[in-house]
Amino acid sequence: MTSKLTRSLIYWAILSPLVVVILFPFGVMFVTAVRPREELFVYPPTWGFTEFRWENFSEMWVKTNFGGALLNSLYVSIAATAVALLLSIPAAYAMSRYRFAGKGAYRTFLLMTQMMSPIVLVLGLFRLMMALGLVNDLNSLVLTYAAFNMAFTIWMLQSYFNSIPRDLEEAAWMDGASHLTSLVRIFLPLAVPAVVVTAIFTFINSWNEFVLALTMMRSSEDFTLPVQIYAQVAGRYQVEWHHVMAATVLATVPVAIVFSWLQRYLIRGMALGAVK
Amino acid sequence: MSSVTIRGVTKRYGALPVLHGIDLEIRDREFVVLVGPSGCGKSTLLRMIAGLETISSGDILIGDRVVNDVPAKARDIAMVFQNYALYPHMSVYENMSFSLRLKRTAKDVIDRKVREAADILNLSKFLDRSPRQLSGGQRQRVAMGRALVRDAQVFLFDEPLSNLDAKLRVVMRTEIKALHQRLQTTSVYVTHDQIEAMTMADRIVVMNAGRIEQIGTPLELYDTPANLFVADFIGSPSMNFLLGTLEQGAVTLADGSRLPVAAAPQVAAGRKVVFGIRPEHLALSDDDNGLAAEVEVVEPTGANIQVYAKVAGMPLCAVFNERHDFRPGQVIRLTWSPRQAHLFDEASGQRM
Repeated sequence: MTSKLTRSLIYWAILSPLVVVILFPFGVMFVTAVRPREELFVYPPTWGFTEFRWENFSEMWVKTNFGGALLNSLYVSIAATAVALLLSIPAAYAMSRYRFAGKGAYRTFLLMTQMMSPIVLVLGLFRLMMALGLVNDLNSLVLTYAAFNMAFTIWMLQSYFNSIPRDLEEAAWMDGASHLTSLVRIFLPLAVPAVVVTAIFTFINSWNEFVLALTMMRSSEDFTLPVQIYAQVAGRYQVEWHHVMAATVLATVPVAIVFSWLQRYLIRGMALGAVK
Repeated sequence: MSSVTIRGVTKRYGALPVLHGIDLEIRDREFVVLVGPSGCGKSTLLRMIAGLETISSGDILIGDRVVNDVPAKARDIAMVFQNYALYPHMSVYENMSFSLRLKRTAKDVIDRKVREAADILNLSKFLDRSPRQLSGGQRQRVAMGRALVRDAQVFLFDEPLSNLDAKLRVVMRTEIKALHQRLQTTSVYVTHDQIEAMTMADRIVVMNAGRIEQIGTPLELYDTPANLFVADFIGSPSMNFLLGTLEQGAVTLADGSRLPVAAAPQVAAGRKVVFGIRPEHLALSDDDNGLAAEVEVVEPTGANIQVYAKVAGMPLCAVFNERHDFRPGQVIRLTWSPRQAHLFDEASGQRM
């Protein structure tokens, strides 16, 4: 019993630097967000505050047009996730079930796209969106986010699909199901964990993306959350740090909620994908 | 119910041939077992009947209909898979009714058929369970139930018992046979286990390296194997093979021992032959005239004893139903009825 306790203590001691590094920015963010404006720049800095000001959030909401940016972010993230899944599921299914020329090359190609930073492509993408007439249109972000995430989603889905026994589909065919019926009624229900995992990743990546959103979106009413928060800091004479931090808290909360709610799928999906 | 005809069917994967021209006529209501070592092509042949593998050349007919290009779903065949392939996200009831629901059968008809099948298979108590809550034997039964509700033309079984433990395998073997006697549906059953083949089949098809070695009833294969492969494959423990030279009415071994055979075939004396005798057909000789064999290992099974011995440097196994107290190194004298001896040509491996 004691040995278990000591062991736990040792493990936590080893883990603690990591925990501190992760939690420190959140601590600063939260404390700053609920402080009165006058206490922002006290020296030396303290963790305390004289007053817990919820009003910071409501003031910020109005002043920074937070609601509009939130809706933009939700639209872009959800649509990008939907598009990515809609295209990745058939692609992953084909890669998992069919033999075709160039399959290995295609997999390698997908992997290589992951080695390039989006920022290298930003200029080309901007010109592409110009040509398509999509600059300053949220749909340009939907398309690019979906495209950037698809390499990962296809890889992830394919490795999971490989673990679903072929026999199940064959049994469905023998039972009189068409390919489409067996896909919809047998295959996809079994692939739900993998689909959820990839959806989470795509959603979070889209939610947090900054460089492309900054490049493509010109007018402030189309800004997504990261750009909108950045706009409160960059090029201002006076930065309202408590509002910036309140906005940051609100921007990270939805992701945290989605993530913690779906993490059981994440763990199950990853485990199932790895081991049959 | 329907017959299945296979005419000159071949299968190649790229340049690699796996089936070299299979001809087989499976009669209506018959229970045919395809048996052979792994890699012999028996599962591929079954999957071609099912429509899960394409046919490289030849024809497969179900009844009078050529089904070469008919997709699996339209062949009206039910199949039991080796790993059962139960739909994990459906209950037993949903698993069994899936095919009927696809055909938009009336709800009350589905319900009646599923309950009938569940009754036959002793699954009535488990209809609401999910497959993962069932034991191996129960899952096996659900897989059969899924085939049963269909009233399909043909049942296909792909090594359905190989994932069960030895005891359950024997029970399920009997159940499948009883089921076939009751339903009389044409069945094709694939296994690598010759005992399953012997006990269940109306006719056995022995396959090896993409070819059919012999087709016949279990006793035909046991009594008159067409070649060394079948002789070796059917029967447990396997038939003993002794290399020798054919002379007048007997085979002479290297050490000079003479093994009597029934009717000496009309071939030139001095020909190299393989003399075959099943372990259970050997008996202890009353006098000193029998074939001398030096005992190496004795394995009692309770019902009988299996004696492994050496004859003229070649291994030999004998099974006795009486209890004997043999010691390793002891020399025993063996005899047999010449009618039960088999002769094979050494060069071709064919029965003489």
